Amino acid sequence: MAKAQATYGAGQGGFRQAQAWLHTWCGLWFSWLLFAVFLTGTLAVFEEPITHWMTPEHHAEEAAALAAPAKPTASLGQRLDWGVAYMEKHHPGAGMWELWPADARGAGELQVFWFDSQRQYASAELDTASGEPLAAAGHGPARQTQGGHHFVDFHYELHAGKVGLWIVGVAAMAMLVALVSGVITHKRIFKDFFTFRTRKGQRSWLDAHNAVAVLTLPFQFMIAYTGIVISGLTFMPAGVVTQFGAGTEGARAFQAALNEPGKPQPSGRPMAVPSLESFALRGAQLMGQPVRAVVIDHPGDAAARIGVYGWNEDAGAQQRLSPSSGLAMFSAATGEVLQVRLPGGVDGGKASLTQSVLGGLHMVAFGGFALKWLYFLCGLAGSAMMATGAMLFIVKRRHKHLGEFGGATARVYRLIEAANVAAIAGLGLACMGYLWGNRLVPPGLAQRDDWELAVFFGIWALALVHALARPAAAAWKEQLGLLAALCLLLPLLNALTVGDHLPAQLLRGDWESAGVELFAIATGLAALWGVRWMARRQASAGKPRRAGAIIESKGAA
Amino acid sequence: MNRSPSHHPGLRLLSRVLAAVFGGYLLASAWSVFIGAVFPGGAEAVLAGVQLSFVVYVGAVIWAFSPVSPGRVWAGLLLPAAVLAALAVLAALLPRLGV
Repeated sequence: MAKAQATYGAGQGGFRQAQAWLHTWCGLWFSWLLFAVFLTGTLAVFEEPITHWMTPEHHAEEAAALAAPAKPTASLGQRLDWGVAYMEKHHPGAGMWELWPADARGAGELQVFWFDSQRQYASAELDTASGEPLAAAGHGPARQTQGGHHFVDFHYELHAGKVGLWIVGVAAMAMLVALVSGVITHKRIFKDFFTFRTRKGQRSWLDAHNAVAVLTLPFQFMIAYTGIVISGLTFMPAGVVTQFGAGTEGARAFQAALNEPGKPQPSGRPMAVPSLESFALRGAQLMGQPVRAVVIDHPGDAAARIGVYGWNEDAGAQQRLSPSSGLAMFSAATGEVLQVRLPGGVDGGKASLTQSVLGGLHMVAFGGFALKWLYFLCGLAGSAMMATGAMLFIVKRRHKHLGEFGGATARVYRLIEAANVAAIAGLGLACMGYLWGNRLVPPGLAQRDDWELAVFFGIWALALVHALARPAAAAWKEQLGLLAALCLLLPLLNALTVGDHLPAQLLRGDWESAGVELFAIATGLAALWGVRWMARRQASAGKPRRAGAIIESKGAA
Repeated sequence: MNRSPSHHPGLRLLSRVLAAVFGGYLLASAWSVFIGAVFPGGAEAVLAGVQLSFVVYVGAVIWAFSPVSPGRVWAGLLLPAAVLAALAVLAALLPRLGV
């Protein structure tokens, strides 16, 4: 142990030793939260397939639509007229009407959105044959669920709104700090990448940590930085406050200055909403995209403004790093064009374009499925980087007590071990339990989607209690074993509750459902391998000869 | 380096962490205000300053944990922050003074 490193404190030793200290502690304290953010963010890449799996009531109609693409049942103009008629009749007081007339081919659903009297976003779906409002769910008794969006929401605000956003923001900053200090710590970064010593205990954890981190380092930097910048104006408000004022007033003035025309003031003079078809057609022509939505600000007022938004489904959409869709804005009274934004363009200048591109980079809106898979694998590697880092911390100290916490050191190590189990295996259980909850929570329950979340957080909390109650090795084995069972039995659960199964999914070409179940099986096999690996290691540690070998290799390190 | 034995090592660590988190944030904020005030483009410059401020923040935290005493860290972060803020104020005043 001639190279004993961990004896330096904060800001002690040389620059590299000081950075090693920073990397160890910044990494440790944030590793659990970052692992959760990373794993759920990785799952969020496949938000739609997960939502698809979680709403089996939609499968039949989606399969039918795939077999015979729906023909437009009513023209664009007719659909828009129905939307306006519905809003005039049922929600005339709403200050904003948002009509989604059709899909990119002019078929599909007709939906309307507005803010209700409690300023909540509300919606209704209208029949595309008659214009009459459909029953609340629109598709029969679909189970109420957040679906894959749960992972999206959790990974950036932990289901806790602004507070959660700030917590995740701090964690993302900590990740950047850990990445930079980690790179400084590893002087042999290139050589390390080609080094992997198996079955060497601490060395193997270190090599695994280095390998996944170095291999995907550019991705890890990019995803953390873009994640922060997306909400950068929230985290770093000083520039806006000093130049444009505080609060919503300042934010509005800032947005207006970014060349995003502010909402017009209502004039107070009444004017019926004009027929929208001509606006929609002109908008589609100006921006070069089919119509996704028509938004009317101050409907019924002479100062009303009509915005036409495009579908990002044109051939070039996957090549555009900036994910913004086309937009054409008109004055309702005069028909005058107020603003045109081409697909991928932004309303402001270079900084606005940068902002849009950074957002697109984070959310992988470009590049199609190949890139989504690349993000998914890099995200898993990032999760593995945090997990192996947290493990490395404790494995290093199992043999050699470093006494960082004085007399409480043993107890703190024990808490860290438990936190590792709950944060890594426990989160896996919570995510898989969420899918189980989707099949087991009764469909008719009030606030059913909240019950699914309760399953997620409940299982996670139980995993923490279990990890605290059991010895670390037993907790690992039991939680990984349960995870393997939940994963491998998921297809069976689906078959029993919904009657759908892998062969049927593959036969009808439903790769979204099949993908979810195949990934569950792969995760289950990985968890099973983890259980067996631990059992083998414990068995060999019991034999004196092998135990001697471990101490020997430790001495060599 | 450890010339003040009266300082408990725990307090020195706390001071360093606070300097990194809040001193670094102040410096990054001052940077975003400075870029927004000095460069033309108004809102665009503010946005660019915000985008870059997180790079400044990370750099500040990394430096705060280099082998430098906590007192130096505080000074090294707050002084440039004050200079940037002063330059931003100056840039805002100059047009009014007709310069």
